[in-house]
Amino acid sequence: MSELKFEPKIVAFVCTYCTYAGADLAGTSRLKYAPNVRIVRLPCTGRISPMFILKALQKGADGVLVSGCHPGDCHFTHGNYHARRRWMVFRALLDFTGISPERVMFSWISAAEGSKFADLINSVTEDIRKLGPFDQYQQLIKETESPATL
Amino acid sequence: MTRILFSDKLDNCVAKWRSAGLTVIGPVQEEAISRYAAVEKGTDLSFGTVLPDRSLKELFFPQTEPMTSYTIKKNEIETTDFTPPQGKRIIFGTRACDASGLAIDDPLFGWDYKDEFWFQRRNESVIVTIACTKSDDFCMCTSLKLAPDSTKGADVLLRPIVKNKGWIVEELTERGREAFAIISEYLLESPEPAIPTVIVPEKFNLDTCVAWLQNPENFDSKFWKEISMRCIGCASCTYLCPTCHCFDIQDEGDTYSGIRRKNWDSCSFALFTMHTSGHNPRSTQSARWRQRIMHKFNYFPGKFSVNSCSGCGRCSRQCPVDMGITETLQEISKL
Amino acid sequence: MITQERYRTTVKELLANGSIKMAIGYRLGSTPDRRRPLFIRTSEEADQLVLDSTCMTNLSGYLVTEGLLSDEKKVGIFLRPEGIRSINILAAEYQLNADQIVIFGFDSTGRDVRPLDGRNVGEFSKLLNEIKEHPLQIVKEPLHWRIEKMNAKERFDFWQEEFSRCIKCYACRQACPMCYCRRCIVDSNQPQWINTSSHTLGNFEWNIVRAFHLSGRCVQCGNCDRACPVNIPLRLINQRMANEVLDGFDHFAGLSPTQEPVLASFKKDDTETFIL
Repeated sequence: MSELKFEPKIVAFVCTYCTYAGADLAGTSRLKYAPNVRIVRLPCTGRISPMFILKALQKGADGVLVSGCHPGDCHFTHGNYHARRRWMVFRALLDFTGISPERVMFSWISAAEGSKFADLINSVTEDIRKLGPFDQYQQLIKETESPATL
Repeated sequence: MTRILFSDKLDNCVAKWRSAGLTVIGPVQEEAISRYAAVEKGTDLSFGTVLPDRSLKELFFPQTEPMTSYTIKKNEIETTDFTPPQGKRIIFGTRACDASGLAIDDPLFGWDYKDEFWFQRRNESVIVTIACTKSDDFCMCTSLKLAPDSTKGADVLLRPIVKNKGWIVEELTERGREAFAIISEYLLESPEPAIPTVIVPEKFNLDTCVAWLQNPENFDSKFWKEISMRCIGCASCTYLCPTCHCFDIQDEGDTYSGIRRKNWDSCSFALFTMHTSGHNPRSTQSARWRQRIMHKFNYFPGKFSVNSCSGCGRCSRQCPVDMGITETLQEISKL
Repeated sequence: MITQERYRTTVKELLANGSIKMAIGYRLGSTPDRRRPLFIRTSEEADQLVLDSTCMTNLSGYLVTEGLLSDEKKVGIFLRPEGIRSINILAAEYQLNADQIVIFGFDSTGRDVRPLDGRNVGEFSKLLNEIKEHPLQIVKEPLHWRIEKMNAKERFDFWQEEFSRCIKCYACRQACPMCYCRRCIVDSNQPQWINTSSHTLGNFEWNIVRAFHLSGRCVQCGNCDRACPVNIPLRLINQRMANEVLDGFDHFAGLSPTQEPVLASFKKDDTETFIL
């Protein structure tokens, strides 16, 4: 029975111009990749607030992926540069408070990189699978007695 | 002859109460703070502090408490009500001010709607007060016409005897007698005298202050602005207060499921009175501080004939900018 | 004592000749070891001024009190170097006009208090640059070492234990000169990003959001840490984040009133080793 096997829940916040288009390309190219990722599309990585990441964890995600255009390729010229600084600081904060950086990952994927998208999703899913469910966070969610709905 | 509970028997008593099904709670010194918490052994209890940092209120009215959870489905809404936790408890070694705080809040939680979350816990708890033999600069129970050995809110009063050897037992209520009957084998008749309770100097004249507060002219007095200029608007005074009881009902969740919780709220916050329109009837911090003082010494006694302050002094002790009820009432006495 | 007397005289003079409308300082508190904020508007109030090594509170948060500076008159304020950095940040974030602030700087070593030269925030830039180059050696407390030895799981448990004590009184926020938002993220409910309830998850979310918002802005004045009634070691997080922006972006918060906020700016060659 497969119900005993842990299937990671991963939320991906992606920008619409690059990574989402990359995901689209992966789809139209009929590339197969792990079905564990829920994609949330945003106009730009500059729009991806750390709040989103916290919200995903609050709803029971085992891992979070944030992805956008390569440096220099931003549709809004520098949204991803701003995002990069924010990620670096937020990642350090999460690390210091005990949320392993392996659970919150960042990547650049362009509209042409459909296969990179598929490969990344597969490897991220495998990494999180190895880490196992985020029990510590899920315990906190349980204590709130609120039904998590991811 | 008086009945004495010797401290070396406390371990046995805790074990006895626990085996009788009671949760034993008392003052505990943790690494960072002191508070009332459940213990397994008598030696876990710590009677050295003047007063635990956190008040007794949170054991009856926790900072957050689930009320109802909901799940919205296609054609129906499912709700599950939470009930207050069951189980008898003995709270051993409260301070008189903390126990009084419970008695002060009783009428509030029961005057029209009987708050089951409060009364379920009240009815299942035995309060054992230990009279104070120590005080600090912030204690002010006597100014509130209470005392370090006040029996208000208590089921049993203990008076310490010399060298921390134990306590003289005075049972005050039926509930107290029942709880101490469980450990009667450890109570010894002995003529030991009690240590006199600490003398807490009176810091202000309450009647003068109340009269000033009741005078409607003083509502708009410049005094309020002056006294509260340095208030930063946090809630450490209200949240550590043994009598402050304001709460907010919050829904947390999303369109499909979530939970309704009862959370502490504080009149110090601007958001406390903020209207949806953006208008705020208490738009300044001075108005908020005035509300806190007026509520405790004018409105609350007007409704329930008792001041909503038991004189623990936590508001002043913990204030980041060294304000507090004591200073305000002292200044009012001088007006 | 001499510093205190001199400053009393200075404040009286500046009040008398109308250079400042008010000075914010310290006075005796309710116990011998406590000091409380003082708002000096008259010569008599100036006589209550106390300045000694126990004056720790960073008073700069009072400057953004609604309406205080809107008449464009000047206000004096007693500040340690960290406080002066706060003024720079508030000016850089357009919360006040630095020219309206008259600084009475002071610092202390042991029990000795000494004045700092300068009145306008610009005059302290040399001092602040020196502090950046030679930061005060923060004595590592046992907690530091404990946390350093922990793995992620242990750190998570450590912080959850600390945050479980939080009662969401928001004393950290209210005491912080940088927390001037009209509407804090926790007070917003459309959308409600983080739990308002004070269960451990809600407490964790609150503290992490505040720490992030202070990254690159915190000057480690210690107001939040001292204000916390349940003694959560907030200083550790804030120090860690300050080190992060210093190492990563060479950013030392509050160097000048025109400094670009670190998270509202970027360099094309910012490190990105962690990005897949």
